[in-house]
This record gives sequence, structure tokens and C-alpha cells, in this order.
Amino acid sequence: MISGTTIRGAICLAWLLLVGAGFAFVLNYEKTPGQSAQAPGFWPNESAIRRDSSRPELIVFAHPQCPCTRATIEELNRLLARKEGKVNAQVWFYQPEDFTADWSYSDLWKTAAAIPGVSVMKDMGGREALRFGAQTSGTVYLYGTDGRLLFKGGITSGRGHEGENEGEETIARLLTGTRFDLRTTPVYGCSLLSCEVTGKP
Amino acid sequence: MNVAKPHTPTLAEAVTERAGKLYQEHHQNIIRHTDQLFGWLMICQWFFAVCLAIWISPLTWAGKESQVHPHVWVALLLGGVLTVFPVMLAFLQPGKTSTRHVIAIGQMLMSALLIHLTGGRIETHFHVFGSLAILAFYRDWRVMVSGSAIVYIDHLMRGFFWPQSVYGESNAPIWRSLEHAGWVVFEVTFLLISIQKSLGEMFLVAQRQAMIEFSKEEIEQTVTERTADLRREINQRRQVEAEVRSSQAQLAQAQQIARLGSWEWDLAANQVWWSDETKRLYGHKPEDEGSPMEICLLRVHPDDLPRVNEIMADSLRTGKSFVCDHRVKLPDGTERVIQGRAETIFDSSGKPVKMLGTVQDITEMKKAEEALLRSEEQLRQSQKMEAVGRLAGGVAHDFNNMLTVIGGYCELTLAQLEEGSVMKRHIIEIQNATGRAGALTGQLLAFSRRQVLQPRVLNLNVVVSGMEKMLRRLIGEDIDLSIAVDESLGNVKADRGQIEQVIMNLAVNGRDAMPRGGKLTIQTANATIEKMLITRDRTLKPGDYILLMVTDNGTGMTDEVKSHLFEPFFTTKGIGKGTGLGLATCYGIVCQSGGDILVESEVDAGATFKIYLPRTEAAGQELAGSELKKLEQGDESILVVEDEPAVRILTMVILRECGYNVQEARDGVEALHILRSQPPFDLVLTDVIMPRMSGKQLCDQIKLEMPKTKVLLMSGYTDDALAQHGVLEEGLSFLEKPFSPEQLTRKLREVLDLKVEKLANCKAGSL
Repeated sequence: MISGTTIRGAICLAWLLLVGAGFAFVLNYEKTPGQSAQAPGFWPNESAIRRDSSRPELIVFAHPQCPCTRATIEELNRLLARKEGKVNAQVWFYQPEDFTADWSYSDLWKTAAAIPGVSVMKDMGGREALRFGAQTSGTVYLYGTDGRLLFKGGITSGRGHEGENEGEETIARLLTGTRFDLRTTPVYGCSLLSCEVTGKP
Repeated sequence: MNVAKPHTPTLAEAVTERAGKLYQEHHQNIIRHTDQLFGWLMICQWFFAVCLAIWISPLTWAGKESQVHPHVWVALLLGGVLTVFPVMLAFLQPGKTSTRHVIAIGQMLMSALLIHLTGGRIETHFHVFGSLAILAFYRDWRVMVSGSAIVYIDHLMRGFFWPQSVYGESNAPIWRSLEHAGWVVFEVTFLLISIQKSLGEMFLVAQRQAMIEFSKEEIEQTVTERTADLRREINQRRQVEAEVRSSQAQLAQAQQIARLGSWEWDLAANQVWWSDETKRLYGHKPEDEGSPMEICLLRVHPDDLPRVNEIMADSLRTGKSFVCDHRVKLPDGTERVIQGRAETIFDSSGKPVKMLGTVQDITEMKKAEEALLRSEEQLRQSQKMEAVGRLAGGVAHDFNNMLTVIGGYCELTLAQLEEGSVMKRHIIEIQNATGRAGALTGQLLAFSRRQVLQPRVLNLNVVVSGMEKMLRRLIGEDIDLSIAVDESLGNVKADRGQIEQVIMNLAVNGRDAMPRGGKLTIQTANATIEKMLITRDRTLKPGDYILLMVTDNGTGMTDEVKSHLFEPFFTTKGIGKGTGLGLATCYGIVCQSGGDILVESEVDAGATFKIYLPRTEAAGQELAGSELKKLEQGDESILVVEDEPAVRILTMVILRECGYNVQEARDGVEALHILRSQPPFDLVLTDVIMPRMSGKQLCDQIKLEMPKTKVLLMSGYTDDALAQHGVLEEGLSFLEKPFSPEQLTRKLREVLDLKVEKLANCKAGSL
């Protein structure tokens, strides 16, 4: 006959397994990136975004309501603080055309706008994101002065988690003149555009 | 084989054992409370986690489309898993070891979840340290180990799978987890030190409580034992008090029965304690004012008070115990005689401090003593009267015989002498002297109560009325005689002649008390005595009496005279004026008749003699007074039995002269012989007192053997069985000596003429 202690032990073990599974799910979710960017190798001419040829151009496509992108903005702030003046940074927030402007002016917008040297722009209908192939909020592009794509990807190590990460370190090195081949890092954030915009299911 | 004795723990061991139990109980209570604390805390944390997730990352977006952010689901579901099971254990199985370990694990994983939900904010890591601090509430190092282990495992796993989330860099070495664990250990170490100290204090508190409990138990046991002792003492005291009350009640009852009270006088405080019986004896009432001793002295008879005060003062002065009989006058007017006994207590300096005493009602004892004295006096008087009576009786017997002979022969001689002769006058004087001598012997017999009474039912009114003429002559003209009789007067049973003698004596006595004249009143009345009436040496029982009062307004008497009034030969009339036998004779007659005489007299206020005679309901049998006649003649045969030859011969001469056929016998034995050997006699005339056989014995024998033969007894006095009560029973014929020839022949004729039936009746009723 099964003793009470055994039953209690079994229940505790099941509980632990359940908790473990929960944390595994969380860990998996945090480490699952969004869709990678299909960026053009050179600055697309049809883009309406003005490029400063004197400095590398860093463009961040972000969803104004994505909670995961807050870490990206914080990391951008930290990066720009380290490399002040060495890069021209722009943050383009997605703005559906049928939404009011207030939707875009979120806390995230205000945080980004407060970062020195950062231009915050509206990406009406996600057209620029489409041009640059950005599909996940927090996707960062770094173009050289010659218009060549130097880096694409995210600058966080996980969903919504700040801290040291490969994307930020790569950009920092690129801005210090280190030459690398195109570097790509996973992007952790919400889907930037709707299916109807991307045409994907 | 050695048998192990059961180990009896010492006090220290018992305290330690009890302290251990108390410590465990206390610790268990703390654990239970902490379980419940964590139960509520984890519920709040869960709610907080969900709110936090909703606040930080409420939605996840895809362009302009959004849905609930997975963090919200994670907070809700994973947070729920982390919360519900430990909370359930906390409330359902508080205090169990597994419960607090599950809680520890859940709490530390909740820290991990919150850290995750806040995006790994360093501030959220403080939740870990806070949780460890709260886990320290359990005061169980094992729980701290469990919690710490979960923290370390969490960091180890994260460092392995996602080092940036823990160490902030991608390539952190594995020992970095030890660095994090070190900080945890740093905190936990101090927490464990604190826990250990707290547990130590808890054990000290438990030890103190155990000691207090043992002390309390010891005190309670002492109290219980003392209470039992007190109960026992109280019961004993109650029993003693009950016995004391019983003894006091018995003492009070005994005092009441013995009419003996006790008292105690505290001289210093002048306070007196009285027993209930003492209060009763002195008629003390609650409303009486003043000190008890004053009340006591107020009750003492004024005549006795100086003596009582003197005796008490003497005792206070000398310390002698005393006995003091004194009278007490009670508020209701009754007077009692109290005998007080007391003694004085002195202190060491010789000062009297207390007087203890008893009082006893000796009224009845005093009365008994007085009664005894009276009885003794009566006895002495009776003995004296007996002696006098015997002397008088003896003298009277012989004297009467001689007087009978003298008188008889005088009468015979007178019949033969011529009228007017000198010899006849001399013989007449001799005859008169013989009569007076006979009267004197009669008085002697009367006061000595040895004369023979012949009681008849009679009415005193008749007697008094019959004497009125004679009394007027007797008392003289200077004295006014008043007779007041009660017409409804009842009868008495007495000897008429004797009663007449009494009245005459009292009248003469009254006359002598009124030398210059006065008033003499004779009254008769019915009287009833309700209570026993005690006079000098007589006791009149309650009942109906006939009262004969003889009152004069003469010189009266002193108490001294009254006390000797009825003694024979006591007289105040001077030598030669009185014999001193008059009132003694009255007293003897009345007493012999079952009555008594009371005297009321004051000097110069006259005197009243009250004669009480028992009333009888029988009808009167007044005998008509007989006048002297000539000698009765007869021819019947008479046997004269007399031991005195002179009397016998005289009697035979008289009877033969009257025609009777007479024979003689010298005593009863000879008489019986004659009676048996000869034809029946008509009558036997016999003396009462004779040698060999008394007249009464002879009479009895004659009535037995010869019932038709009549008997006439004659005697100067008699103390034999025939008249041992002093009176002759009705039906017997008796002739008192001295008698004259006329009295003899008349009495003889009277007896001979009685009908046989009457004699038979008399025989049946009297003999």
C-alpha cells in the first residue's frame, strides 16, 4: 500500500516537473527570435530615408507598442553613449495608416526621442520597413558611409532582456573601424508588420 | 536475575525533557504561523506577478494586431503552479516538513519568475534575499538549505543555458554561479546564525517556562496539600466547634435543669459575662440598662443587699472564696433564694482582676429544708404528745377505773341515805369531785388524742344552736354573743360531745381574753380549700370543708403566744386560773376529727379561731339528747369481763340490783371459757384493755362463735386495735369510763334493745 509520504513525494515531484516545464517554456520563449531581416546589401535608393554619407547610418525599426523593444531602445541608448557622434541613428516607429498618430507616440517613442543624437520617425504603413526587409521590432541596420550594409539584427540577448549582447558589441566594433563581413544577429521582439502588410500568413 | 528499576527522572532531567517538548511545540507553532504567512504572501506575489506582467508587457503585437503577451500567461499559469500547491499545503498541512520545503522552493522560483517578468532587472534580485530572510522565519536551517539550493540551481541552469540573463555576458565561466551562490551563502550564514541564536533563546525560554511549570505544579501541589490540610483543619475545627456548641448546649441545659448559672466579672473592664441561666435566675432582660453587675445587685433583696456587698468586698480584699445565700426579687414580683459561690482571681501583683462564680436557685431546697424543719418540729411535737398522751392515757385508765368505783359507790350510797343528812351532802361533794376528776381525765385523753370518739354525721348549725343558751350563761352578760350560721351548711362526721367541748373551750378562751367585755362571734360556713394548706404541724388537703369560726375582740396574741397556743399546759392566765389544756384539747379533738385550727390574731385586735372539719355528704343522724333517768331494769344474762376487781364488782352490784343475771370473768380467756361452757349470754360487757386477751379480741371471737350475743365495750381509753385510729367504728357499742350506774344501765339497756338486724349489719360493716 502506498504510504502518505510516498504520495506526497510523488505530488511534489510532479509539481517540480511542472514548474520545470514552465520555466523551460519561458526560457524557450525568451530565446526564440523573430523573423530575420531580408535587408538589401546597399542602401535602397527608393527609400525615403535620408542617409548622411559622412557618418555610418544606424536605422532601427521598432513597433511603438512592443514591450520587448524597450530593451533594444535601452541598449541603443547605451551604444550611442559609448559611440557618441560616430553614427547617425534613426528610429522608425511603425505607424499604421488607419491609426491615429497617438498610437505611435508611446512611451517607447518618448524614450527613444530622448536619446541624444537619435532621430525618431514614423514609418507610415511600414513602407520603409518593407523596403529594408525588417520584419521584427528591434531590427537594427548599420550602413557604412558608402551605403553598404554592415550589420543587421538585434541588439539584445533575449526577448526584453537588456545586457551585454553580440549585436551591440559588433556595431560598437564596426563604429571603431573594425572591418567585418556582414554580421547578422537574432532579433527578439514582436512582429513589426501585419500579415496584410507583409503578405505572409 | 537483576530486575532493572524504573528510572525516576531527576528534576533537572524532567525540566530538560519538558523544555524540549515546549521548545518543539513553540517551534512547531512558529512553523505553522510561517506556513500561513507564506500562504498569504505567495497569493499576493502571484497577484503581483500577474499585475506586473500586465503592466510591463500586456500585449504582444504583429503590426497593428495584438494579443495577450505570453508573459501574462506565464505569470498567470506558471505563477499559479508555483503558488497554488505550496499555498494548499500551507493551509491544509501546516507544520509539516514537506510543506515548508515546497514553500521554500516555490518562493525562490517565484523570485526567478519575477526577475524574468521584469526583464532581469537587478532590483528584482532583491526578492531572492528578501525571500531567504522570510524563510528564516521558519528557524529551520534545512529550509534555508532548500531555498539556497534552488537559487543556486536556478543560476546554474540559467548560466548554462542563458548566461547573459544571469551574468550579463555570453561566455561567463561556470564558477560565476559560485560567486552568486557566495552572496546567497553570505546572507544565509547570518540568517542561520540568527536562527541558531533564536532557537537557543527559544530553548532558554522553554526551559524557564518548564521551570515555571514545575514550580507552578509544585506550588499547586503545595497549595493542594495545604488546602487539603486547611480543609482537614477546618473540618476538625468545625467538629470541635460543634462539640463545643453541643457541650455548651448541654452545659446550658444542665444549668437550666440544675437551675445553676455561672458568671465572670472582669474587674479591670468592669464587664460581666452571664450564662443564660444566670440571666434567667436574675430576671435579666435584653432591654435592661446598666452593667450586668448593677442589674444583679438591683435584683438582690434590699434586706440581703448589705450582706452581699460586704461578702463580695471582703472576697475582693482577702481573696477568700465565698458562699452567699440571698434572696432575689424578680421583676414579676416573685422571690427566689439564690446561693452564690465565687472566688477572686488576682494578678502577680496581688491586684484582683477577675471574679468567677456560680449562682444556684435553692428556693426549693430552702423550702424543703423549712419543710424538713417543720416535719422535725412536728415529729418532736408528736413525740412529745405521744409521750404526754401515753402518760395521760395510762393515768386516765387507772384513774377512770378508780373514779368509776368511787362514783358508782357514791351513787349507790346516796340512794340509801336520807335527804338532808350531812353524810349525803358529803357524798354529793365526793360525787361532784369525781365528776370533775372524770372531766379532767377526759381532757387529758382529748389533747393526747387518745380518747375514744364516737363520730356521727351531724350539722354544726344544730350543735351551735343547741349550745347557745349554755354559752350565754358561760361567757356572762358583759360579752355579746353573736351566732351567724350558714343555712346551707353541709354536714361533718364528728363526735358531737367533743365538738361541743371544742366550742365551749373556745368560748371560754374568748371570754377570758375580754375581761372588760366584748363581742364573741360564732360563725359557720362552707369552705373550699384550693391548694394544700400547711399550718403549724398539719396539712389540709384541697377539698370541701365546714368552717367554724369563733371570733373575739379581746386582747389578741403575740406571735410568740400563737406559736405555743396549742401546747398542753401552756397558759397565759396565771397560776391557778387555767389548766393549759383547753386549747390543747380543742386542737387534739379537731385534729383527731381530720380537721385543723387556724388562728388569726394581733395584739389588741382580738382573735379568730377557724376550725376546718372535712365536709361529708352523708345525711345527719342526730341523736336526741337523753336525759338522766332512773336505773334501767332488765333480766337478761350479762357476763361482765373486767380485770380490775373493784370495777368488776361495782358493775356486778349495779347490774344485779337492776335485775340482770350477772356472771363475771377476769379476762377474755376466762370469759370465752364461760361463754363456751354455759348457755348463751344476752350481752357481754367487757373492758378493752386486759391481760392475755383484749376486749376487742374477745368481741371478735364472740361475734364469730356466738353471733346472737351482744357486746358492750368499756374503757377509760384504748390504744388497741379496736380504736387504733382514735375513733370507734360505727356499729360498735362503747361505754366510756368513768361511768355512773345510770350511764351504765342506760347504755346497757340501749344495746340490749337494739334489733338483731341492726347488729348484723353492724357486724358485717364494722367487724
